[in-house]
Amino acid sequence: MTITRPRETTMTCADFQERLPELFETHTDLSAEDHLKTCENCTALVRDLEYIAQQAKLLLPIHDPSPTVWDNIRTAIRNDPNSGTGGATPAPSAGR
Amino acid sequence: MSAGQTQQKPANQHMRRNPPIAGEAEAIAAAQAGDEKAFETLYALHKRRVYSLCLRMLGNVAAAEDLTQDAFLQLYRKIGTFRGDSAFSTWLHRLAVNVVLMHLRKKGLPQISLEEALEPSQDDGPRKDFGDRDLQLSGSIDRVTLERAIEDLPPGYRLVFVLHDVEGYEHNEIADMLSCSIGNSKSQLHKARMKLRDLLRTGQRKESAV
Repeated sequence: MTITRPRETTMTCADFQERLPELFETHTDLSAEDHLKTCENCTALVRDLEYIAQQAKLLLPIHDPSPTVWDNIRTAIRNDPNSGTGGATPAPSAGR
Repeated sequence: MSAGQTQQKPANQHMRRNPPIAGEAEAIAAAQAGDEKAFETLYALHKRRVYSLCLRMLGNVAAAEDLTQDAFLQLYRKIGTFRGDSAFSTWLHRLAVNVVLMHLRKKGLPQISLEEALEPSQDDGPRKDFGDRDLQLSGSIDRVTLERAIEDLPPGYRLVFVLHDVEGYEHNEIADMLSCSIGNSKSQLHKARMKLRDLLRTGQRKESAV
């Protein structure tokens, strides 16, 4: 019986990068990927994408909008013809 | 750890991102009945996240404040339709995303459909990377640089990247917010990360050339 070699051993960079979104989404342990054991380029790509995802998590929060924003909203609400009735049809239940 | 693993979310991820906020449910009910003070409470609770989304999408403080205002005025008009099927913050975020998309369409691309917004032209897309190992990003990107690179992403990529990687929404929630498929959201996220890498590496090259 012929044993088929795992696809990863002959995988090209294009093949690997084609699979990369799926590998990320399924939380695959990429260190076990054969292609990365021999390809510095894709290893660097994976490392960079991991780094970008990590750094993005540190970006929130920015800061509050200026107080003028609420002042404008309040003015608009008070000038709204529906003001005092919630501006909309009240729902029977609120929130979670 | 893989990028997938860095995004791996525990079972209570939804609760982490949308933790129960003391007094929120009461404020929603009171605001639905027309209580301005309660509406102000909701504004105070959610203004930062809505503003952050607007600012990241527009890159301009004045425009971001205008859209934050629009989003909360929309909230005022529509809060009566909130039934609690999803977390209030997710529902509000969806409303804010729609305000942002409407603005982007009006601004530059009046005929643009959401699918087009989510699928930038070939020129704007990321390149495959089959070489060029000269630069590594790891450890070298500060917050300001990353924020600037995010600003340079095409709007569709930027929106999905901000919602998923920055704000922690799941693909099914993003698909719901943007009325696109989950597969589309996943695909756009990957392209956005690849494009960001291109942008960050280009920036590094320019810096090192000076």
